Order: sequence, then structure tokens, then C-alpha cells
Amino acid sequence: MLLEVDDVHVFYGAVEALKGISLQVAKGEIVALIGANGAGKTTTLKMISGVRPVKTGKVRFDGQDITHMPGHKRVDLGLCQAPEGRGIFPGMTVVENLEMGAFNRKGSLTEDFDRVYDLFPRLAERRKQVGGTMSGGEQQMLAIGRALMARPEVLLLDEPSMGLAPKLVSQIFSIIRQINAQGTTVLLVEQNAVQALTLAHRAYVLEIGKIVRSAPAADLLADDSVRAAYLGGDLGASA
Amino acid sequence: MKKSRPAVMKAAAVVGVAALGLGACGSSKSSNTGSSATTASGGGGSSTSAVKIGFFGALSGANAALGINILNGEKLAISQYMAGHPKVAVTVDSFDSQGDPSQANNGAQKLIGDKVVAVVGPAFSGESKAANPYFAQAGIPHITASATNVALAQSGDKFFYRGLADDSAQGPGDANYLVKTLGAKTIAVIDDKSSYGQGLADYVRSQIKTDGATDVVDDHVDPNGQDYSSTVNKIVAAKPAAVFYGGYYDAAGRLIKQLKDKGYTGAFMSGDGSEDPHFITDAGATAAEGAYLSCACEDTSAAPSAATFNTAYQAAYGTPPAIYSGEGYDVTNFLLAAIKAGNTTPSAINNYLKTNSWTGITKTLKFQSDGDLVGGTVYVYQVKNGKITQIGTTPS
Amino acid sequence: MHLHSFVTQFWPSTVDGVTLGSIYALFALGYTLVYGVLKLINFAHSEVFMVGTMSAMWIMHFLNISAIQSGFALVGALLLAALFSMGGSAATALALERVAYRPLRRRGASRLAALISAIGASFVLQQVFEVYYSNQYSNFPRLFKHSTLFNIGSAQITTDRVLIVVAAVVMMVALERTVALTKLGRGIRAVAQDPETATLMGVNIDRTIMYTFLLGGIMAGVAAVLWNVRFEQTRFDIGFLPGIKAFTAAVLGGIGNIRGALLGGLIIGLLELYGASVFGSQWRDTTVFVVLVLVLLFRPSGLLGESLARARA
Ligand SMILES: Nc1ncnc2c1ncn2[C@@H]1O[C@H](COP(=O)(O)OP(=O)(O)OP(=O)(O)O)[C@@H](O)[C@H]1O
Ligand SMILES: [Mg+2]
Repeated sequence: MLLEVDDVHVFYGAVEALKGISLQVAKGEIVALIGANGAGKTTTLKMISGVRPVKTGKVRFDGQDITHMPGHKRVDLGLCQAPEGRGIFPGMTVVENLEMGAFNRKGSLTEDFDRVYDLFPRLAERRKQVGGTMSGGEQQMLAIGRALMARPEVLLLDEPSMGLAPKLVSQIFSIIRQINAQGTTVLLVEQNAVQALTLAHRAYVLEIGKIVRSAPAADLLADDSVRAAYLGGDLGASA
Repeated sequence: MKKSRPAVMKAAAVVGVAALGLGACGSSKSSNTGSSATTASGGGGSSTSAVKIGFFGALSGANAALGINILNGEKLAISQYMAGHPKVAVTVDSFDSQGDPSQANNGAQKLIGDKVVAVVGPAFSGESKAANPYFAQAGIPHITASATNVALAQSGDKFFYRGLADDSAQGPGDANYLVKTLGAKTIAVIDDKSSYGQGLADYVRSQIKTDGATDVVDDHVDPNGQDYSSTVNKIVAAKPAAVFYGGYYDAAGRLIKQLKDKGYTGAFMSGDGSEDPHFITDAGATAAEGAYLSCACEDTSAAPSAATFNTAYQAAYGTPPAIYSGEGYDVTNFLLAAIKAGNTTPSAINNYLKTNSWTGITKTLKFQSDGDLVGGTVYVYQVKNGKITQIGTTPS
Repeated sequence: MHLHSFVTQFWPSTVDGVTLGSIYALFALGYTLVYGVLKLINFAHSEVFMVGTMSAMWIMHFLNISAIQSGFALVGALLLAALFSMGGSAATALALERVAYRPLRRRGASRLAALISAIGASFVLQQVFEVYYSNQYSNFPRLFKHSTLFNIGSAQITTDRVLIVVAAVVMMVALERTVALTKLGRGIRAVAQDPETATLMGVNIDRTIMYTFLLGGIMAGVAAVLWNVRFEQTRFDIGFLPGIKAFTAAVLGGIGNIRGALLGGLIIGLLELYGASVFGSQWRDTTVFVVLVLVLLFRPSGLLGESLARARA
């Protein structure tokens, strides 16, 4: 397994946000993590990225125990995240934001810029624009592009479709598929469960800090109880 | 007197407590009756009783030098007195005020509690203002050897004495010196807004007008500030013949230095607050050279009457007497004269001070009813070859 | 009001104001950088400056350099003074971060706690220098003649003024470029704008904060040596007044904003001198603070806005 989370508990003060989470992501997979608001999806990704401390449990990357490794070092290992809310640096230009993605990398970035501009021609047009003035969709492209600049082994995406128009949503999802096809493993958190499950190979269902289901994505998509609980509103759209 | 450092204390004046006992004069009488304040002597030789003379002033902190000078003068007077095996032994009871007026209450209570019969001090005007009422209430005579704020004598304190001329003598004296002796017709008068500095400068401002000169620039500097360029620009634009500064030595040093840097060539004068070697180090020797400083204190090293004192002081402390040492010595001797004359209670000493006089090494001490000196000379000093040298007195 | 003296002293006031203002501006950078990154006021920054003035003065005394120098000796003495000043200030800034801030940050303490910690550190540093060094002013030697190069109106432009203003501007530009163009600068801006995302990008927050203190310390060190050149004396409490002015400059320009510090510093230097010439020297500080309050009433985030976060650094 490339990424393994083993019985992890995370607290916010006295509140236990993750109550013993275990999950695995294999190389080359797209794994989706779905669940209601406040279930702990973002907390899970932040914990994996090392910006939320683990109380008990283990996180392993490529066999190495990274449970207590500082967040910035995990980036060097190949764990990269496009966070919820995009986390664009508002005072930096598109180019500078992309450079932030490659913060610790040495050597030429030309190839990486080309790849990102190739995936998101919009960004190429707006290199000098300041992040804070970009539209929501553009910021999301920038967030994903920036994460790719690190040449991650595992890309963590927290609600990449949030707040986007349906057309843009499908565009983003097809880009994720493309990135995965180019060899990047993806762990995807989504509210937009139908599309996430359509895209993913496997999925976990999270409910108030606990994993309640784990199955191939297609099975969950077909499962009535899952549909009722998480896919209700989206049924029509997914059809 | 010198005021203490700018930041900490404003008007500081050291009051020399009058030490009891006559040093030089009259034959000693046996101690008088009913001196309840006197304690049994542990002291020297033949004495049959003992009293304490307090000291109140800064012995540590930024302004310690002045207090130490005065205390050394006081101790020298007392040790000379004790060497004569007097009937009444006298010891020193000192309080280190650090020059901080907020310590004044503590200091007064300590000395009063220790039953001192008189106090040399407080040293600075600021702490005097705070402490004097306690001594007045306790009926303990207190002689300052250094506090020159005029108002200290105006509070109706019947136990207050001042062993040197006050600022009302110094300010006009300085103005007279600038106008009459140096011939300056246009003068810039600057101060630091402290009660001492502005008080002194205001006396200068009014006296130069009386003397027929013009106050061409009036400005105030922040004694804690470094940049005096706005004041300097005004002075340089007005080109006065002389600048007077009311305040303390460090700001005075900065002012003269920044003036000279901008090409000012006229005379510079400041009061006793600036009469300190640090004035020269702060200004730089070149900038300070030629500056005039005034003080109601006398440089005893120049006084023939003080030769014995100078030698004894050097022998006792390993340094020559410095500012206010002579005044501290004189006021203590006045108190010792009172004790020698048989006065060992605070009230008896107080009466003695009011009705007698004492010729010391710096001057004859004789007090008016408000405790201020009768007469009182203001001495003029000048920085010559990097040394503060006494050059004369102010004209009247 | 003395509008006449404002007019007659306009040029000298301007020159003196710009000189003082350039020092304030350099000094203000430390407040602004640390605020930008940590959102807290480093109240001990005035002591970072003080240690700089002390270090420069100390090396001159130690090497017995007390007179006018020329040629290489002058350049060497100035560089040495600057190096010690920057070193002393930078070391103090780093030590403060380590001792007074980092432990609190690790424990997630409030900003108020950090503020108290800074005030405490400030007292400690002052008193250490007061007790173990001196409570009197110590002099910094005049290393070169402050001769007049040319005049602007009635103002003499002297060598020391030129040195101060040029050095300050060069350092400000160097810092601005560092923050705008280097990897270190990007890291600082990233932490200022969004520390968590910065970590997700691989930025080492602790190290970036350390570098921020370091840069602020170096700038304060340059301010300190220029202060020594201008006023030639220092004492344990020397940082207090210019510290307040520099902090005010940072707020006036927009705290967190590097260009704002420059603008704020110059405005405050000039206001002090102009205010003093119009109202009398006793009103110079009042003038500054009245203007500050008025500006903040209309532009609560300062003239250029609170930056590092918003605009480009
Ligand atoms: N910084 C925080 N402090 C305290 N509680 C927090 C914090 N962040 C998250 N929580 C709580 O932890 C729980 C999980 O939050 P999390 O953000 O992981 O949910 P989520 O599954 O990502 O939800 P959403 O779909 O709304 O983004 C919630 O109850 C939330 O209120
Ligand atoms: Mg979330």
C-alpha cells in the first residue's frame, strides 16, 4: 500500500473528530472519501498531510511511518494536497502560486509549467493575475495545478468541485482522471458523491468520525442505502 | 542643585541633613536635658549619649553620584567630630532613595522611625517635595545640600533649610552673566519642560528682558529624545549671541553637539543640572569646549578655605571632593554645632538653626525664616580643555 | 502657531525629517514583517535595535576606534560597526523568537500571552544592559567629518545624512526585492497569507518565522548603526522612543506592508520636524499621533493597507 491510515484518532480540544479511522490507498488508484458535512473528511486529509496532529494510531507512506513527521516534510515524500476552499495565496500571482507548489523542488520547472498550462489553458492566459482576484473556478484550477507542481505521488483533493458550475465540475473531474492516467494516485474528498463514485476505483464512507463502509465505488453507487443517505439529491444529475 | 537624571526625577535636590554637633566652633557642652530622642551611646570614648543624623538621597541608580558625594561630606564631618571624643556620639543613618520620588514616603518613615534628630537631604527637588511634609509633621529639621527648587521653601515647612542658593538666584544670575558679562543681546532660551529646567529657564527669560536683551527663540526639548534638530534649526535660523538651556546634562550635551554640528558659534550656558562631567562626554569634548555652566555649589578645590577639607576628603575616600561634597560637609557641621551646643532633640536643633549661623568651607550658613539662605552666591564654570573649571560668579 | 518658522525652516526640517524617517522606516520593518507573519506585535523589537546600537558602539570601544578615519580604515570601521550592529540585533531577534515566542506558539497560547512575553523580554533586556553595562550614555565615535556636500535652500546636506538616507533606501529596496523575488521571500509571504496551506506546499513554518525575525533583526541592526552615526550615543533605553515611532510608522503605512513601512517612516520623520517648526518642539510627538489617529479614522488599515497578506509584498 502506498498510503495506510491505521486506527487514527484526532481531537479538537476535547472533541474527538476522528474516532479510529483506517484506510488504504494503493498506487495508481483513485479513492473517494464521502460523507455528510462534519463527518471528518477534511480532518482526515489534514491529518494525512500532517497539519492535524494524530493522538493515537499510525500513518504510513510507502511503508515508512510518517505519523509524527512535520507536514512540510511530507510534501517532499510526494504527498500533496489541494485543500478545501482552495487555499490560493491571494497576494501572489498565478505563476507565484504555481511556484509555491514546487516550493522544495530543485531544478527546472518548465516541464511542470507546461503540463499545468496544458491541463488548464485558462491559467496560461492569466499568469500575472493576482490569485485573490481570480474567479472560484479559476482558483480551483490553480489549486489543482499548484498541487501538481510538486509532482506528487499521491494527490489529496478536498472538494475540488465545490462551488463550480456543472460544466466546470465535469471538466475538473475529467482532468482528475487524466492526472491519474498519467500515474498520480488520488485520494478524493467530495460532496458531489455520484460523480466522485463514478470516477473512483474504491471509496470509503465516513460518518461522524468513523468509516462505516468501504467498497469498490461501483458497488456503493449501486447500493440503495448509500444512495439514500449520500446520493439522494444528486440522483437526477447522475442519471 | 543638580537635578537628577532627566527621566527619573525631575527636580531633585539633595537636602543635606544637618548633622548635629559643632565641629569646629565652640567648646562642647554636655548634652542637654531631656533629650528623649537620643539613644544610649554605643559610640566613641567619653560620650554619654548618642544621636543619629539621617541622610536621604540616591546612593544607587542613575543618580547615585550626587548622593554619594553628599553622604561622603556628611560622614567626613561626623568622623572629624567623633575624633574629638564628644559627649554626644553621632552616627549616620542613611536612606538610599535612588532619587525616586515614589520612595520618599518609605524613606521619610524609615528615618522618622529610627528617631533621627535631623536629616541631611533629601537630595533632589522631586523627592524633597514628597518627603518634606513628613519631616515637617514629625518636627525633624532637614537641610538639603542640593535641592534648589524655589517652591520647597514656600510650603510653610518650619523645619526646612537649604544650604545653597535656590533657582531664583541662579536663573537671574545666569541671565545677568549672559547679558552683562558676555554682552549677549539676543538669546535663545530652551528647556526640558521639567519643573527644574523650565523653572530655571523662566527666570532667565524674565531677567534677560530686564537686562535689555531679547529672547529670540523659546523652545522645549524632550529630555528623553535624541533628535533636537527642530530646536537646532530654529536657533540656527535666529542666530542668537547665546543659548541658555534649562535642564540636565545629557540633553544639554546633545543640544550643544547638534548645535555645533549645524554651525552654531555663539555662547552656550546651562545650569547646575548640566554641571557634570557627563555633559562633556555626551557632547563630545570639542562641542562642549567653552560652554558655561552655573551652580550654587562651589568647587571647593579652588577655595583656599577648603584646603584642609580637600585633603581629608581625598584621604578618606581616595577621590577629590566632587559636586555637593562641600555643601554636604557644611550643613552637617552646622548640625554638629547645634549638638555640641547641647541641643540633642529635633526641636532644640531646629531652634538652633534658626538663630545661629555657621561659617563653613563654602559659605556662611545663615537661614531666613523660610529656611532659605541669606545671600547665596552663584558660581560660573566653563569647560576648558575638557574640564569643568570654576571661573567666577554671576553679577547682580 | 509659527507658520513663519515653518517656512524659514522648511528645508532643514525636510532634510532632518527624511534622515530620521529613513531610520524609522528600517526599524519599522521588523514590526511589520513579524506582524505580517505571526499577526503579533513584537514589542521587544525596540530592544533588538538597542542591542544593535550597543554592539556597534562596543566594537568601536573595544578596538579603540575613537577618532576620524579615512580611506580603507573608514570603510572598514563603518562596515565593522554595521556588521556588529546587524549581528547583535539579529542574534537578539532570533533569541527572542526562540525564548519568548516559539514556546508559546507551540502550546497554542493566545496573542495576548505572546504580547506579555514580549514586554517581559523587553524589560529583561533593558535591565540587563542597565545593570551589567551602564545606566549612562555611551558614545559612538565620529568616524568621518560631517562636512557639507551641498545646500538645498537653507539646508546643508552633510555626508552623514547622505550616508544614512542612501544606506536606508538601499536596505529597504534589498529587503523588498528579497521578499518579492526569492524563495525565502515567497515562503514568508505564503506563511503570512495562509500558514496552513504554506505547510501543505512544503514550507517549514518554524524556519520561515525564524528567517522573518532574522530579516527584521538585520534591518533593525542597520537602523541601529545609522542611529549611532546620526546621534553618536546610546543607552539601555535608547530603543524606547524610536521604537514607538517606528511601530507607529508601521501602523501608519499599513502594518504588514513593507512599502508602507517606508512611507510611514518618512511621513513620521517629516511630521515630527514640521510639527515642531509650526507648533514648537514640545508638540512634535503630539503632531505625529494626532495625524496617526486621523489617518486611521479614514483608513483603518493604514495608508497602503495591511499587506504581506493582501497585495504583493
Ligand atoms: N479547527 C477546528 N476546531 C474545532 N472543531 C473542528 C475544527 N475543524 C473541524 N472541526 C470539527 O470536526 C468535525 C469534522 O470536521 P471536518 O471539517 O473534518 O468535516 P468534513 O467532513 O470535511 O465536513 P464538510 O463536508 O462540511 O467539509 C466537525 O464536527 C467540525 O465541526
Ligand atoms: Mg471538509
